[in-house]
Amino acid sequence: MADVVLEKVEKRFGDVSAVSGIDLTVQDCEFLILVGPSGCGKTTTLRMIAGLEDVTSGDIRIGGRSVIGLPPRDRDIAMVFQSYALYPHMNVYKNLSFSLRLRHTPKAEIERRVQEVAAILGLSGRLNRKPRQLSGGERQRVAVGAALCRQAGVLLFDEPLSNLDAKLRVHMRTELKRLHQSVKSTMVYVTHDQVEAMTMGDRIVIMNGGSILQVATPLEAYDKPANRFVAGFIGTPPMNFFQGMLTATAGQGSVDLDGGVHLPLTRPVPEGSNRAVTVGVRPEHIHLSAEGRGNRQKVAATIDIVEPLGHDVIVTARSNAGIFQMQTEIYAGLRPADTLDLWFDTDRIYLFDRETEWAI
Amino acid sequence: MGDLTKGAESGETRKARTAFFDREAPFGYGLVLPAVLYLIVFIAYPFLMSIYMSFTDAQAGNRTWTFVGKANYSKVDSYELSANDFVIATFPSQSQADDFIAKKSTGQQVTDAAPAGLFRGAIVIAGKKIAVMAMPSADDASFNASSILEDLQWKARKTIGGKYEVVAHSETPLVIGTFPTRAALKSAQGQILVDAGTRIKANGTGVLQDPNFLLAIKNTFKYTFGTEVIKLFIGIPCALLLNRAFRGRKLLRGLVVIPWVIPIAISAQAWLWIFDSTYSVINWTLVHWHILAPANIINFRGDKDWAMFSVVLVNVWRGFPFTAIVILAGLTAIPDEILERARLEGANAFQRFIYIIGPMVRPILMVSLLFSVIFSFTDFNTIWIITKGGPFDQTQVLSTYAYQLGVNAGYLGKGAAVSLFMFPIMALMVFFMLQFLRREEA
Repeated sequence: MADVVLEKVEKRFGDVSAVSGIDLTVQDCEFLILVGPSGCGKTTTLRMIAGLEDVTSGDIRIGGRSVIGLPPRDRDIAMVFQSYALYPHMNVYKNLSFSLRLRHTPKAEIERRVQEVAAILGLSGRLNRKPRQLSGGERQRVAVGAALCRQAGVLLFDEPLSNLDAKLRVHMRTELKRLHQSVKSTMVYVTHDQVEAMTMGDRIVIMNGGSILQVATPLEAYDKPANRFVAGFIGTPPMNFFQGMLTATAGQGSVDLDGGVHLPLTRPVPEGSNRAVTVGVRPEHIHLSAEGRGNRQKVAATIDIVEPLGHDVIVTARSNAGIFQMQTEIYAGLRPADTLDLWFDTDRIYLFDRETEWAI
Repeated sequence: MGDLTKGAESGETRKARTAFFDREAPFGYGLVLPAVLYLIVFIAYPFLMSIYMSFTDAQAGNRTWTFVGKANYSKVDSYELSANDFVIATFPSQSQADDFIAKKSTGQQVTDAAPAGLFRGAIVIAGKKIAVMAMPSADDASFNASSILEDLQWKARKTIGGKYEVVAHSETPLVIGTFPTRAALKSAQGQILVDAGTRIKANGTGVLQDPNFLLAIKNTFKYTFGTEVIKLFIGIPCALLLNRAFRGRKLLRGLVVIPWVIPIAISAQAWLWIFDSTYSVINWTLVHWHILAPANIINFRGDKDWAMFSVVLVNVWRGFPFTAIVILAGLTAIPDEILERARLEGANAFQRFIYIIGPMVRPILMVSLLFSVIFSFTDFNTIWIITKGGPFDQTQVLSTYAYQLGVNAGYLGKGAAVSLFMFPIMALMVFFMLQFLRREEA
């Protein structure tokens, strides 16, 4: 059993608060992703779990045992670093077995585990190579392999894919996910890439400014973002935001966007919740016609830019409410300067309090 | 028509000229020219000249130099055969051997004629006649035999076979004879009739026959390896210390290199005072702490046992910053993540040093060692300023000896020969170090 529990964990560097009192529970065998922009405290959190950073206050428990004050080697963890941190003077075999050799594991056992890990990661033919003689993807796999060899309860990943090229990154994403399904250990994975977070994680922890904003499954994070930051961070292309006023009359709500665009809401809004709001609409929830799923509301717009991606195009358009992006098929044949009516799916409109930025 | 052709021609020449100035190759050669001239005038010419000079009888003041072949390197006038130990007799027991030694004073020396016109020198003790050696002259034979009998110390020694042998021992080797050729020496060696550990020495005017030259080679190695080992022992901890984060680290990093940047001619003056026979601050301190009696103060530059220590100390003081800074550069090149991973994988500080830091710094350490060895091996300044090779040539190294011989004594040819001996030795050392580096990289 290797669950990880963080309780009111705080980290300060001098006067700067890097992580401000977070609570988090990672279930046994869960693949948890810490995601957020640079400097949001996700890597610091990971390093505190690893024991590479001291905790200013709070408690961290791994497998039910508090690890505060324990050196990294006694925490039942293994870590994969962003730069892979392979020992350049050791061949792959020695890189994989370093931690085992330090522990005086019997030679036969080392051999067995290294061969097993090498087979899982497809490194069997590379055991005598030095890291310098490996490709980027192979180095990455050696780094993962070294962590696997320890058979630690918790595997920590610090942006392990950020040094790979785009194609290899997509490939390794799948590989790591497959690996998690086969090795059955708890994994905590830090990334700044929301696509990685969405595709790989059982649950996602979205962090910003040293705090946790939302802990959710990928679907929940996409469907029910807890606040404006999460809504803007999850999903590509990012959600469109408009400024507007929420009015609720007899349980029926509607928002008036700047520029006279009126959007009636289909979901009930509590009486007296009239206020200034930020309105969010995802690009994929803006359509070319009134026909189809959900209630749709007409907004007049002019096309500015069309960016084809293949099957899809991303269209940047102007309306009275502001500039926004929508995603549609390339076969729609949109051109810049076209003027047309676009249809917003009013079932999928997100509302955020303009003051607190939390979802309404 | 004519005008037209003329115009076309001038157009063509202009084109050719710009093309020449546009071409990069001549420009490149032009830029390299000063360096090539420098190499020829200051490196190649002196080097070739010293090779040439080492084969001539060049002397200061001589106008004409004549070619003398390898005479400067090796010219043997005679071979000297000598030995320290002569095994005179063997006995089955210790007491019998001791008895034999006790009767040494009653022994007599006799000389007989031997076949082939030789004379055999022998010792007679208690009726037992031991032939020692045969020599062409009766005088030599009787002189050597009586030397063994009267001047040498006799001792009993247990052999590997469990027997006891009586050995005549001499602290300074007993010269058995000098011979003009190696063949004559060989035949004389065959005429020594007792077991003797003989040694052959060549007397001559070549530097290889010069005992001071051999001493200089020995001193050069002592000096080089002494300083290099100590530099590493100080430089590595120093680099590890400077790699830690602490207040004033940058200042200290700057201060450490001071010995390296001060010209040796200036810093050596300070060392001359530190090593002064009367005013040495080291002696003063030791006396004041009652570690040393005032009568026993150390004469750093004058005492033959301390002189080498003193020059090594100065070279270490001067050279260790270089070693430390180079190792520090190697240390800072190790990514933090690698050390963090090692920590995570359970390596303590000592294991990180042995398994991670050491191997990763080793290549750059070897480069620094290579440079440092070259500097020390060819070092002239330090020794010349501190001891001038003295006392009794105890700190004479190849470079100072070449200078003494070639410039001070005026034997340019021999001086050149001495200095050229450094070249193959260094080439070999550099070769092996580069070989090692290449293997590291593979």
